[in-house]
Amino acid sequence: MGSVNDNNNRAAANQEGRYHQNTPAAVAVTAPSPKKPLPTAKTVDTQSVTKRLQSELMALMMGGDAGISAFPQEDNIFCWKGTIVGSKDTVFEGTEYKLSLSFSNDYPFKPPNVKFETGCFHPNVDVYGNICLDILQDKWSSAYDVKSILLSIQSLLGEPNTSSPLNTQAAQLWSNQEEYRKMVEKLYKAPDA
Amino acid sequence: MPKTQTSFPSSLPQATSSSSTPASSVFNLEVLDSLTDSDIQRLLHAYSAFCSSTDSLLLLSGIPSASPSPSLEFADSVHVLCSHRLRSFVVDHFLRSLQDAFEGNCSSKFWRSFEAYRDFPPLEDRSPSIDEASLEQLLCEALDEISAKKQHQEQCLSVLVSALESCDDQVLEGKHDFDTESKLLFSKYQLMVHSVLLASLPRHFYDILHWYFKRRLEEISAMMDDDCSGKDSMDLDESAVFSLESGDMDIDGEQRGKSLDGRWVTNIGKVVRDLRSLGFLSMTEDAYASAIFMLLNAKVNELAGDDFRCSILGAIKRWIQAVPLQLLHSLHSYLGDTPSYDTTSNVKSPLSSKSFSCYPGDRPLSQGIIIWKLRLEYFAYEVVQDLRIDKLFEIIVDYPESSPAIEDLKQCLEYTGQHSKLVQSFISSLRYRLLTAGASTNDILHQYVSTIKALRTIDRTGIFLEEVGEPIREYLRGRKDTIKCIVTMLTDGASGSANGSVNAGDSLLEELNRDEEGQEKADLEDGFNSDDKQAWASAMCWEPDPAEADPLKGSRNQRKVDILGMIVGIIGSKDQLVNEYRVILAEKLLNKTDYDIDPDIRTLELLKIHFGEGIMQKCEIMLNDLIDSKRTNSNIRASMNKASQPSVALENAEISSDVVDATIISSNFWPPIQDEEFNVPEPVDRMLTEYASRYTEVKTPRKLLWKKTVGTVKLELQFNDREIQLTVTPMQAAIIMQFQDQKSWSSKDLATAIGVPVDVLDRRINFWISKGILAESVEPKSSERAYTILEAAADAGTSGVNNDSGEEFVAGDEEEDGTVASVEDQLRKEMTVYEKYITGMLRNFGRMTLERIHNTLKMFCIADPIYDKSPHQLQLFLSGLISEEKLELTGEVYSLRKQDG
Repeated sequence: MGSVNDNNNRAAANQEGRYHQNTPAAVAVTAPSPKKPLPTAKTVDTQSVTKRLQSELMALMMGGDAGISAFPQEDNIFCWKGTIVGSKDTVFEGTEYKLSLSFSNDYPFKPPNVKFETGCFHPNVDVYGNICLDILQDKWSSAYDVKSILLSIQSLLGEPNTSSPLNTQAAQLWSNQEEYRKMVEKLYKAPDA
Repeated sequence: MPKTQTSFPSSLPQATSSSSTPASSVFNLEVLDSLTDSDIQRLLHAYSAFCSSTDSLLLLSGIPSASPSPSLEFADSVHVLCSHRLRSFVVDHFLRSLQDAFEGNCSSKFWRSFEAYRDFPPLEDRSPSIDEASLEQLLCEALDEISAKKQHQEQCLSVLVSALESCDDQVLEGKHDFDTESKLLFSKYQLMVHSVLLASLPRHFYDILHWYFKRRLEEISAMMDDDCSGKDSMDLDESAVFSLESGDMDIDGEQRGKSLDGRWVTNIGKVVRDLRSLGFLSMTEDAYASAIFMLLNAKVNELAGDDFRCSILGAIKRWIQAVPLQLLHSLHSYLGDTPSYDTTSNVKSPLSSKSFSCYPGDRPLSQGIIIWKLRLEYFAYEVVQDLRIDKLFEIIVDYPESSPAIEDLKQCLEYTGQHSKLVQSFISSLRYRLLTAGASTNDILHQYVSTIKALRTIDRTGIFLEEVGEPIREYLRGRKDTIKCIVTMLTDGASGSANGSVNAGDSLLEELNRDEEGQEKADLEDGFNSDDKQAWASAMCWEPDPAEADPLKGSRNQRKVDILGMIVGIIGSKDQLVNEYRVILAEKLLNKTDYDIDPDIRTLELLKIHFGEGIMQKCEIMLNDLIDSKRTNSNIRASMNKASQPSVALENAEISSDVVDATIISSNFWPPIQDEEFNVPEPVDRMLTEYASRYTEVKTPRKLLWKKTVGTVKLELQFNDREIQLTVTPMQAAIIMQFQDQKSWSSKDLATAIGVPVDVLDRRINFWISKGILAESVEPKSSERAYTILEAAADAGTSGVNNDSGEEFVAGDEEEDGTVASVEDQLRKEMTVYEKYITGMLRNFGRMTLERIHNTLKMFCIADPIYDKSPHQLQLFLSGLISEEKLELTGEVYSLRKQDG
């Protein structure tokens, strides 16, 4: 239950900050007892985010889509780990990539931050694992969820957008699928966990 | 045994007699110097006279009747010798002569008389071959003889003493404290006798004594038994022994009252006294003590037996009073160990410690006897306790009948305090006999309840119960059907099922009732301003826990001996119990054909008292559903009748619509109900639809959704030659209805008609085949099964199954047929959710320990179903997944099994 407390504390801290801004006169009075935060609208927000993430988790677990998976880290439901398997009949077939997804308190109104943990030789993924995908930036909608994000990334692997690449070498090589496949195999390191 | 010389002052009679210088440092040399020749002559003369007169004196000892008469010569010689200060020499010589005489004449003869019994068997296996009568006689006679001789020698000794005394008067007036000296002399003599006898003691003598006392005790015991059982047959052999032994004693039954015959007592008392005077005091006491204990042990064993329905302690105590104590008492009084007044009256009165305290004058006697009494009783308690503890398991098996035995055990334990022995032995017999795969859960539970009740009487504090109960609980937790059995036990009594399984159920229901009464009583007391009062009262009767209590387990206050509580303790939480109860209740309610739920309401109320209202809420709603259903049902029927009255004749429905009774449930509060889709026969379906529409009218905006598989159908089947009434499940009814118009169906067609898969149909249709109503045949061409209805009972007979039991509720293949999802099913369903989560996390995190999986599930599996399993349960589940080859375990880390390719 550690993370729930963490969340509460964080929420409480935020609330405290706001409180300070709004009514500076009261600071002196409330400062001595900062450890007993009152539930506020912000906390409720966090809770609703938590709730949403939980139901997404449930849906994802029960959905049983092959090739994609994700699960929150042990102590924090805002940080997930994801797994994507390269689709069949693409150059990424037989590979498996780990991702990290971190959600903000504004989720699902802001997209989560998604990165590759496993190195991925792909036109739209840079060496640090950052992904260039429209729905994770300006095309984000609160209707998307973890599942759709993962599916999008999975399909991105097979259908890269070579017009605005992060990895130009990959973008150039893409036209030669055989060479590309060799490159993927050469660079691919199976995640150990 | 060393030779007896140590008990004599070392004497050198020969040396001193020939020389004029006695080698004793007592005499100083000046005295020797003053001796004249004539003195020496006189001394020598006196010495020889002394020797000869001593010999002659002792010789007489062969004739006990003649009392030794002191000859003048003897006295004179003693005088002379004493006057020359040879006193100690005189004494030594005399004692020495006595010893020689005793050794040669008495002791060897005494032992010789027992020579014949050299091979006397040791205590336990006394073979009947021994001539008991003659042995007894021999013992008495030998003792008589040796005592007579000893008496004679004592008289001789007293002759010497008197001689010494007289010379003391003359020579050394007032110089000697004569009394002490003569006492010393006699004790020396006593010691000598004892030593001589012990030195040549044959080993079997103790056995003979032991046997002798045992016989005597048996005689008293038999006498007492005779007294009780109308003085009828006394063992012939025994009476013969008796008469022989006691000589002229008459064996008239009337004379032997409660008190012992005086002569009989004299007889045995004399034996004891003789033995004592010969110095066998401790050996005698040993002998009769061990005889008493042996006999007591035998008696207890005999009384205890395997019958637990009567208390035996009382009988044993009475026996102790009547037999050994009486013997001891008579012995004591005969031997005059104590002031002997009014002892006889005491013998008659029951020898309870209370009666002793009434005779303060008797104190010394009482104390001896009381100590004996306590010893004997303690011994008896111990023996009884051991016997009962050994049999405790059996005792508890027939508990309510065996409560006297439990009471006995309780009393014994109060004295002996061997509770831990009880616990140990009982636990081991439990493990060996009850907690095995062969015992049914019901039996174990029943025994558990009996154990609780029985041990509650033995030990109110419940400490030992706790220790004993733990293994049982532990074991029951490992059984799958425990909860079900408990719930059945709880509820069965209420439904008044007349089956044989009532006794166990009764006991639990009774507990429920008792709880309720207790509650009411408490409520009553609450009426008065009782809080303080009660607190005060309970404070007043506070007692510390027994020493055996484990301080870790909380004090008495928390440890209420409450059977229901302990039963629930098996399961761990009442939630599970209530859940199971809900399932069973649902099953029961759904199968009801009337709306009579009074007994269930009663049980529920009792459960509510025990477990609290909140937790039973769903069950209450279920019962309310039934009550509402009854009302709604009658409403709908009324409205249907009204509406359909004009159309009834017109429509000529095969079945009038008021045969439908609906149980309307709020399905959220009921356990999940298994629903199989199938086609209800068309007329019935019309009826149901009609009913549903009426319901909607009555209860807008609600709608009725039928659970078609649930419920019961009463059928009447009319054949050419017979009618059969049956109560069956809807599916079975649907099947048989298909045969109304068409006599024969192939299984495929029938399955389509009913709308179920063929395999389901095959399973369900077995019911009708076993009833002898349908026949199964295999078509040779298509190898497809076909079913035909059997019109005549004769045909049915050929299919060979019972068909004569008119109305009968058979739920067919019941196990699979339960209408309500069992708790296990629910659990399995929950676990599939967890399985998905577990695969999900392992997929993303690779390897995880049990603890991490557990924590993660706890963290994120908080929607429905919430994760509430223990790590242990999880581990079990995971190992199940491993055996399904979904996971693998390396070391302590779980991971997904790699799929090939």
